[in-house]
Amino acid sequence: MIGILKSMATTMKHALDGSTFTVEYPETAPDVSPRFRGVHKFSQERCIWCRQCENVCPNDTIQIVMDDKRNGEQYNLHIGQCIYCRLCEEVCPVDAILLTQNFEFTGDTKNDLVYNKEQLKAVPWYKDIDPLESREPDRGAWIGEGEGEVDYQ
Amino acid sequence: MSTDIEPPRTAETTEDELEALIGDRAIARDDHLNAPGFVINPDDVQDVLADLRDEAGFDHLSCLTAQQYEDRYESIYHMKKYVDPTQEVSVVVPTTLDEPTSQSAEPVFRTADWHEREAFDLVGIDYEGHPDPRRILLPETWQGHPLSLDYDQTKPQVVTLSEYENPIQPDHIDSESDTMFLNVGPHHPATHGVLHIKTVLDGETVLDVDPDIGYLHRCEEQMCQQGTYRHQIMPYPDRWDYVSSGLLNEWAYARVAEDLADIEVPEYAQVIRTMGAELCRIASHMLALGTFALDVYGDFTAVFQYAFRDREVIQDILEDLTGQRLMFNYFRLGGVAWDLPEPREEFIAQTRDFLDELPAKVDEYNDLLTTNEIFQIRCVDTGILEPEVAKEYGCTGPVARGSGIDYDLRRDDPYGYYENLEWDVVTEDGCDNYSRVLVRMREVEESAKIIEQCLDLIEEWPEDEREVQANVPRTLKPDPDTEVYRAVEGAKGELGIYIRSDGTDKPGRFKIRSPCYHNLSVLEQMVQGEYIPDLVASLGSLDIVLGEVDR
Amino acid sequence: MSRGAPEMVLQVGEPMLPERIGDLTGLGEFGVAGELIAAFLAAFIVGNLMLAMTGLAGPWAKRKITAAFTDRIAVNQIGPAGVGIIVADAVRLLSKENIIPENVDRPAYDVAPIVVASSAMLGFAVIPMGTGIQLADPEVGLAYVFAVSGIASLGLVMAGYASSNKYSLLGGLRAVAQNIAYEIPLVVTGMSVVLFAGSLQMSTIVEAQSQALIDLGVVSIPQWYALVNPFAFVLFLIANFAEVGRNPFDTPEAPTEIVAGYQTEYSSVYFVLIYLGEFLHIFLGGAIIATIFLGGPAGPGPAFLGIVWFLLKIWGVFMMTQWLRSAVPRVRIDQLIEIGWKGLLVLSFANLLLTAIIVGLIA
Repeated sequence: MIGILKSMATTMKHALDGSTFTVEYPETAPDVSPRFRGVHKFSQERCIWCRQCENVCPNDTIQIVMDDKRNGEQYNLHIGQCIYCRLCEEVCPVDAILLTQNFEFTGDTKNDLVYNKEQLKAVPWYKDIDPLESREPDRGAWIGEGEGEVDYQ
Repeated sequence: MSTDIEPPRTAETTEDELEALIGDRAIARDDHLNAPGFVINPDDVQDVLADLRDEAGFDHLSCLTAQQYEDRYESIYHMKKYVDPTQEVSVVVPTTLDEPTSQSAEPVFRTADWHEREAFDLVGIDYEGHPDPRRILLPETWQGHPLSLDYDQTKPQVVTLSEYENPIQPDHIDSESDTMFLNVGPHHPATHGVLHIKTVLDGETVLDVDPDIGYLHRCEEQMCQQGTYRHQIMPYPDRWDYVSSGLLNEWAYARVAEDLADIEVPEYAQVIRTMGAELCRIASHMLALGTFALDVYGDFTAVFQYAFRDREVIQDILEDLTGQRLMFNYFRLGGVAWDLPEPREEFIAQTRDFLDELPAKVDEYNDLLTTNEIFQIRCVDTGILEPEVAKEYGCTGPVARGSGIDYDLRRDDPYGYYENLEWDVVTEDGCDNYSRVLVRMREVEESAKIIEQCLDLIEEWPEDEREVQANVPRTLKPDPDTEVYRAVEGAKGELGIYIRSDGTDKPGRFKIRSPCYHNLSVLEQMVQGEYIPDLVASLGSLDIVLGEVDR
Repeated sequence: MSRGAPEMVLQVGEPMLPERIGDLTGLGEFGVAGELIAAFLAAFIVGNLMLAMTGLAGPWAKRKITAAFTDRIAVNQIGPAGVGIIVADAVRLLSKENIIPENVDRPAYDVAPIVVASSAMLGFAVIPMGTGIQLADPEVGLAYVFAVSGIASLGLVMAGYASSNKYSLLGGLRAVAQNIAYEIPLVVTGMSVVLFAGSLQMSTIVEAQSQALIDLGVVSIPQWYALVNPFAFVLFLIANFAEVGRNPFDTPEAPTEIVAGYQTEYSSVYFVLIYLGEFLHIFLGGAIIATIFLGGPAGPGPAFLGIVWFLLKIWGVFMMTQWLRSAVPRVRIDQLIEIGWKGLLVLSFANLLLTAIIVGLIA
């Protein structure tokens, strides 16, 4: 009996202290970590079409089309199929593909979630966080010397 | 730093002794990286396995790997000892291509039942003398065996039941019967995923259960066989046991692949791995606790929500560390992807805050659960799992430790940084649902101890020695026909992986030994003669994740 | 809804609600027909009051209370504090397709929800809710309440059996086993109150509790039977929770075990009726407890506040069910039966005997 009363006292304590753990989404936008991996952002200006991202992608989410002179034509990424492993960002030697913190995306059909390079370029930052800053320290292993300021917008 | 935990070693069985024991029955040797391997004839399986168990003490049939080569089928029985899992032996049983029949090991080890059903289902080896030779992961009407080499993927794979069933087979419904057949699941509030339990009831009493699994079979083994060692496999282990034990699963792959390719992991990375893995273990146990309470309380009530809330704090910490909340992909071969996030002090302080609050929270759970008399009458002496039965069914993890089996790979087969840290293996002797809850709650406290020590180490680590990744070539091509089986202590138990390399940058065979799979197989032993509510509670106390059961 | 023969009514308090309405509207002058219409009007008012409370409790209050216990916010989007969810939920539930499975036992399947809901409504007819807010006051009031609320088990077993679903069947059987096991302690404990009051009539029982138990001059503690015999009060409370199937005795529904028990196959309007019936039963249980143990509408302040006090007491009992729900695990069905027959039944008879001796000695 004492145990039951102790249980009841515990829950009543929670009821009376009035604190809540959940937040009112979307009014209160949740904080995401700087390292959080969301929808990709692609910069055609930086891309050298080396196809390493396409190669490393574990489930063929990235599809690149090039013409016969090896100039890039299309860069398609299925953000609904992507498993957000960040390997594409990790292998990219020029920071052309990045995972933003943006996790809010919708589509009426799954085809809507296939983004081409323009759509990928238009993906906004989440709360103006530049993900590269938090991830910069260890990128040296992959890209060697960077090429100065990176501007995606 | 010293080794504070000494694994309980027993008299080691040397290779010579093994050779003498198996004697003439060994027709060849096929050593694996982790264990000596003996090739035997398909007719000697029961004989050899019984001898190994009774004479040499190999009482844990950890895994059975079946595979097809160009010229033969092969079943590999990976055997260990519960008292000392570093002592291993592989029994390799080849069978011919045209008559793939091998003797069943089921009479010796009950756990071979599900192992061999899976091997039959996916590879197509017949096991003679198996009591229940049905498919297990794929539907009954599936055509062919998808992991066999001659499997035609272009052909229709499932036929409808009406085409498949035998029209002249008599109706087996017995109108005189006093029992009731009840389908629990696949859509049932308490099956923790898509699990279907065929239950036979007498009133409210459970007479028999037959778990029907495979609804969540995603061909994880095949997917891993199509990925490169270096990068493409690592994201997948997160998806086996997908309720926040991702890092523990990743470690299973990291360990086996690092052994295979002989990669040294920097110590600092090992410390970070250990910390991350234990955070995952707490999160996973919190969820286990919450869902078990849910099963016993019967509503989305307070305990479940509190457990979820506490798990949420860990998720935030892990998100800061790894960049993702569930599917971490944080480990790399030879280390981890990142060092702690900057500012480091903030991260460490945040983690310490969580650890400081943990004892109060554990007290709260004790108030809510373990001291509650109704909870006690529901859990004490229900779902009894005797240690002998648990061993026979290959149970590991908190389920085995709740039955008093002192078996924890973190201590007994050390990896990572565990052997340099001070912590205890938790066991309870109750063998019931209540003990399993207690084990998980106390393991949370032990994990907190480990994290605390890891944080101390990380804080004091000299700045110029913070190496998070070893130098690993971008393409890994292990020597052909190297075979290795390695296991780690996942949240639910022994999570093992067998890899055979074939000389390319992708595995030739990738086999996952899932702890949940074997913990679930023991359910029938736990619930016979109990009531329906106990069936639900026992299932909850096994803490299965269908993603890991079905793979 | 019988209001009992007027000669038999012992006029303890003021006239009943139907008469008051009759007087107020002048319907009383039109003879029997007028009285009948007045009675219907009164029943309509009381019935709607209870439905409104259920409407408030089911979709909104229950969510808010559960959320408070579990550190959440719960409904908050429509209207102040999310009360608009009541409308939204009503529209949602009523506009859904009423799916009727193929092999159900038709008349029984359709009648069951109505039986469940109406049996609880009938009980409110004899509950004195405040000054003159009572539909009828027969001498056998308490027995009547127990009788009509017992009809619900008939509805539950009908629902369980007719649904042609094994989970429903298990739930229906559990409901019957549970109701039988706990109805007896419930009635026997209720009888101990009758021994004190010397009457089954609700108004007499309330009246008997209005005297002061201890008079300290400034504060006067009334002679509520919960205070006179707290043991009986606790027994009755427990038996009542089992009777209305709330935690820790919610085995007939037991979501994690038998999906939803007898209501597994019900949808749309039928589901609403069963759900409504459940809440009405909680409130009826609260009303009985308030009447026979907590002094009915008694409370400080002017007499017209009686209804407020009465509703507060009912809601108190409702809150109690939600509190238990947050913290107490469900007992297993065999344990439940054991507690009922071996525990509560024995205790309730002991209580009855003790009360009889004490009342006999005092008298």
